Amino acid sequence: MEIRTKRYDSALSLLELLSGVVPDKLSVALTILLGAPARVVSADGAWVMGNIPPLSGNVRRLPLAHDLETVGFLETSAPDEAQVRAAAVILELFMRSGARYFMASEMHLEVVKTDYEELQRRHEALIASEARYKALAESLEERVKEQVSTIASAHRQLYQAEKMASVGQLAAGVAHEINNPIGFIRSNLGTASSYVQKFRSVAEQVKSGDTVRIASAWQVADLDFILEDFPSLLQESIDGADRVARIVSDLKGFSNIDQAEEEIVDLNDSIRSACNVAANQINSRADLKLMLGELPPLRCHAGHLSQVFLNLLLNAAHAMNKRGEICIQSGVENNQIVIRISDTGSGISPEVLPHIFDPFFTTREVGSGTGLGLTVSRDILTAHGGTIEVSSELNVGTVFTIQLPIKQGNP
Amino acid sequence: MADLDETARKLTLKLVYYGPAMSGKTTNLMRLHDLLSPDLKGEIMTLETQNDRTLFFDLLPLGFRTPSDWLIKLKLYTVPGQVAHDATRKAVLSRADGLVFVADSQRSQGINNAESFQNLEENVRRVGLDFGTLPLVVQFNKRDLPNVLTEEEIRQRWFAAPWPLVMASALSGMGVRETFVKLLEALYPVLDKNFSLSKVHGTDAQSFINAVIGINAVTGAPLGNSH
Ligand SMILES: Nc1nc2c(ncn2[C@@H]2O[C@H](COP(=O)(O)OP(=O)(O)O)[C@@H](O)[C@H]2O)c(=O)[nH]1
Ligand SMILES: [Mg+2]
Repeated sequence: MEIRTKRYDSALSLLELLSGVVPDKLSVALTILLGAPARVVSADGAWVMGNIPPLSGNVRRLPLAHDLETVGFLETSAPDEAQVRAAAVILELFMRSGARYFMASEMHLEVVKTDYEELQRRHEALIASEARYKALAESLEERVKEQVSTIASAHRQLYQAEKMASVGQLAAGVAHEINNPIGFIRSNLGTASSYVQKFRSVAEQVKSGDTVRIASAWQVADLDFILEDFPSLLQESIDGADRVARIVSDLKGFSNIDQAEEEIVDLNDSIRSACNVAANQINSRADLKLMLGELPPLRCHAGHLSQVFLNLLLNAAHAMNKRGEICIQSGVENNQIVIRISDTGSGISPEVLPHIFDPFFTTREVGSGTGLGLTVSRDILTAHGGTIEVSSELNVGTVFTIQLPIKQGNP
Repeated sequence: MADLDETARKLTLKLVYYGPAMSGKTTNLMRLHDLLSPDLKGEIMTLETQNDRTLFFDLLPLGFRTPSDWLIKLKLYTVPGQVAHDATRKAVLSRADGLVFVADSQRSQGINNAESFQNLEENVRRVGLDFGTLPLVVQFNKRDLPNVLTEEEIRQRWFAAPWPLVMASALSGMGVRETFVKLLEALYPVLDKNFSLSKVHGTDAQSFINAVIGINAVTGAPLGNSH
């Protein structure tokens, strides 16, 4: 329940109405003004101002009204009626001023209380909403983290998939490149072993020392031809083995893709490697023209850059509707290594052109690539402080221009 | 709700003049003080600041005795209209038995009126009263000024509202008593229901109104504006 029993609009007792005046002083002043003893009592007689005892003799009693009701009496033995009335009026004025003060202060308290309660309510609401926001912010951070890690892992998987795709392409090309020499080396070795068989048949006659049988065996085995054919057969096989060795060494440039260490390379070598690896796919669609100028050695992730060249070469090969030309130029311009890979393929439409470096953007049919090839290429060049730009015209061709700042070995 | 004191045989009612700042609430009370002559009439107590804006409220007490010798007191309050004094308005409004909404008829005051009326509705609910059943009279004051809404416009706008509408010019007193009488008319049925004014206290609607405004019930002088 309410602790304060009084409200600004409560009825007030005489005691409350006169609480602002000093009782003894007022009693003394009244007595002097009236020239006779006077006292103020509450309507029910329970309270007497200044505890003055009841008056004796001819006592007059005047009601003291407040708020339409008699709340007390002025008692006095003073004879002058007008004087007594004036005293009552003065008392009522005091009471009125007391009421004003009382109402104003009670109202003030009430207002302060509601304002305070309102303030507290708002404060609590604020704290509650702050807590809500905090919880939200915390869970938000968590959720963002989750999302980021999901996206990151998806990204990684796609990169991996893209890498696998290019490795797959690479493997197909390489298999073809290696299959060919391996095929004729194998066939040559078969022929060689039949030649050895023939040498053995002649050798048996040589042991007999019979020159006629030796000559006849020589004839039968056709050693004249074999002696002529064998060296070229071996030479061909040696060349084939060399070719395989070269392809394997070119492949090494791609095998260290995940290697974090930088190495110092001549990018022309990387370009040639990429051409060799892609040779199979290029040769069937286009003529390759290399115009490689002298390049300063570059400190870089060579495996990554090889991948870029291979990627662009394969793209160029794929862009050929009919047999065309792919040209790679390299050189130094404005203290930058510049590599241009141009093709006379189908070109890229103006609507598509701005998006080709966007992740997951691909114009090839679904499944043939993730669309990360050019994105990864650009990322690799950016990581080297370089840039890649493209210009293209439909049915004329496309030019990719790579620029790399020259950075040599650590001083 | 009305304050019933069985031992003192006293019923105290609270009537509140509400409205935007400067619409004429205090003026209404001052005119009522002059116009009414009930058995008992106190002085207006004004709690105002120096610039004569109502700080807390004005208070005019009126009263009469019923044939059953009960004292019926009506305490007329005004609220401060300034937006900042909402807590005071709420305190004054609490336990009110009836309301007069004093609107300013000037065209420029439309928004102030509307906001104040909305504030009234909100505060009535906040202090736990029922806006639907609380006796209420709407007064459009300052009819004497130029650039006021026409009575037709006002009646059109308030057409759907259930409360009595009174046109007034509190400065001259026009419509002030009529407003108050309309409020007493709306108030009486509620009081009669709760306190059996008619049966127990021998006070029917007409004698209740007559007693409050001070018309001799016996001579039966007609009601209406004194102007
Ligand atoms: N012209 C005109 N002025 C009025 C009328 N009623 C009140 N006023 C004036 O409006 C101002 C505000 O009146 P007041 O009663 O103090 O408004 P409150 O803030 O609602 O209490 C005062 O200057 C009044 O004289 C009216 O009917 N006509
Ligand atoms: Mg006022």
